Amino acid sequence: MKTWSETNMKVQSIIIAGLSLIRLLLSLFALWLTLGWKVRKTRRAFEKQLIRQGMAKKDAKKLSAQYSKMKNEMMSTLKGSVFRSL
Amino acid sequence: MSGEKEKKKEKEEKEDVEELREVLGVVSKEVPALIKSIIASVFSEEAGRDMGKAAAAFYKELKDAGMPEETAVKMTENYISVFTSLGDILKGVGKERKVIISTKEGEEIGKEISEEVSRKIKEKLAEKRREEEEEDEE
Repeated sequence: MKTWSETNMKVQSIIIAGLSLIRLLLSLFALWLTLGWKVRKTRRAFEKQLIRQGMAKKDAKKLSAQYSKMKNEMMSTLKGSVFRSL
Repeated sequence: MSGEKEKKKEKEEKEDVEELREVLGVVSKEVPALIKSIIASVFSEEAGRDMGKAAAAFYKELKDAGMPEETAVKMTENYISVFTSLGDILKGVGKERKVIISTKEGEEIGKEISEEVSRKIKEKLAEKRREEEEEDEE
């Protein structure tokens, strides 16, 4: 028969693991939320430099779309690896 | 005697819980920080500006060399895609794939460059011939 302290330890371990998991997921969620905003800022700074050298705005936008593409690829890779590990 | 054993076991379990607490604390703190720093190195105003400067310099060089607008933009796009193919690199991790640019894409780029180079050489040769003819006439 399990003693009171053994059960207590197990409960404590589960609570610690749960809290850490929640903390980790919250941090990742916050990162995901700010990612879109960061990509927009990066794209704007990138386009500004190209336009300054005489490139058409349309072409600069087309080139900076690579950043959005890269973000999507990163997210899909991350999602894929998370689902594979589950 | 059994009381001592139980105490020892209890102490070990307590240590295990403490260790677990420490490990999970570090993981939940360090993993987001690591991902955050990786993201910041690619997606930040400064990184965008630096990449933009490099691409703009490349574009300007092409334009100054007399490259047509469309080709210059296309070549700049290819130039950027080499740096932004981080997704491909991530996908390639753990796989045997070592090529970042596909063969088809590489062939296209090579064809474009060789066409442009041969066109430029022809132009320069024609220009030189014209100059020589002019000199002969004088």
